[in-house]
Amino acid sequence: MSDVKQEKMLLIPKIERGFVIDHIPVGMGIRVLEILTAEPGMKDVVTTVGLNYSSRRLGRKDMVKIVSDEIPARAAEILALVSPGITIKHIRNFQVDEKLVVAPPAEILGHVKCRNPNCITNNERGMRTHFKATRRDPHLYRCVFCERVFPLSELEMTVS
Amino acid sequence: MKTDLISATDLTLKDIEDYLELAGRVDAAPRDSLVGLLKGRILMVMFYEPSTRTRLSFESAMARLGGSTIGFSETSTTSVAKGETLSDTVLTAECYSDVIVIRHPKEGAARLAASTASIPVINAGDGTNQHPTQTLLDLFTIRKLLGKLDGLKIALAGDLKYGRTVHSLIQALMMFKGNRFVLVSPPTLRLPEYLLAEARAKGLDFAETTDLKAAIGSSDIVYMTRIQKERFPDILEYEKVKDAFCIDAAMVRNAADTLRILHPLPRVSEISTDVDRLPQAAYFPQVYNGVVMRQAILLKLLGVKL
Repeated sequence: MSDVKQEKMLLIPKIERGFVIDHIPVGMGIRVLEILTAEPGMKDVVTTVGLNYSSRRLGRKDMVKIVSDEIPARAAEILALVSPGITIKHIRNFQVDEKLVVAPPAEILGHVKCRNPNCITNNERGMRTHFKATRRDPHLYRCVFCERVFPLSELEMTVS
Repeated sequence: MKTDLISATDLTLKDIEDYLELAGRVDAAPRDSLVGLLKGRILMVMFYEPSTRTRLSFESAMARLGGSTIGFSETSTTSVAKGETLSDTVLTAECYSDVIVIRHPKEGAARLAASTASIPVINAGDGTNQHPTQTLLDLFTIRKLLGKLDGLKIALAGDLKYGRTVHSLIQALMMFKGNRFVLVSPPTLRLPEYLLAEARAKGLDFAETTDLKAAIGSSDIVYMTRIQKERFPDILEYEKVKDAFCIDAAMVRNAADTLRILHPLPRVSEISTDVDRLPQAAYFPQVYNGVVMRQAILLKLLGVKL
């Protein structure tokens, strides 16, 4: 067993069932936990948070494990915006049953604010934003309303 | 399913051809033959910003087709002044009318109106974003004057940063093959970066310059726009650039006879009145074409055949 795996085993125990959210950029682990536990029914689930692990891919990384039968769809959508590239592993009987690398969506409905202060979405009460991906790497999104294009990293989240 | 006209970016080449072809038939038709086509139909004008030409040309287009127009052209006497949302105003307006034309200072307002209304919505200008009916009438004018929309050298001059007519027009002209663009503006009023990026991504042939005279000498079309004093934080900066972006008769006389000068109007001093009588001046025929194109737009969106 590699040193990295040994370190992980010692510090963050395996779970029988649930999800491992892996490859979280270092410093984002707590934010990911907040997003998950903000969803209805998720407040009381058992969670383990690991910070600053060694990672071959990222150098350092955070990790979150939750004992739950599902990840709410809304939380998954938000995670894709906050931290594209993270891996979600579904654990059954202590084994990885499914693995998914979270990619930014083709469209974003709500969750983020348009950066153009003169966009109608920033001036009409109760209006939901809508963005469509125009390019990957860097991830660029066009506001469906004002038609301006912004990098995903510059879109401010409206959800806590 | 209803059709709206919100942005030049929504239009395919086929859509543009359809609008131009229909406008050509409206233009050629005897005026009396059109007057009953929209009888009993009501156009709602929702103008949250001042406008002369666009509003009047829509009203004229509707009247020439036998329809009528209601609406507002400033918001102080409407529920908007009481804080009503745009969505609520649109849902109310659609109960009174068959088609809505909207001008609004916020970018994306027309898109919101279209997604709210169950009747067709036409964007008559949303902030600095789009002005697609102006684009269609500009394309109609260029083709009427030069017989084509491809392989042209087009100079876009003046305020390229805030001028929504330019933004819509360049996006539409990019769709036609072989067009080359000269972007003439003061450095502070350059075409926005998101449009330059789009032009670069499409491999468009364009150059940026401040030399209006050279652009006039080498273009098929000069599309002039007004530089607005209020866009300059420092009035001295405005004074410095305003005279460098004016066309006078001497400049035009040295240009090719085939050059045509367009302007969405109103103009202030950027085209001297001594240009008006020269054969290159095409901005008043452009105004006339605005009514023709808007008749075509109303017919198409209301599904009435000519």
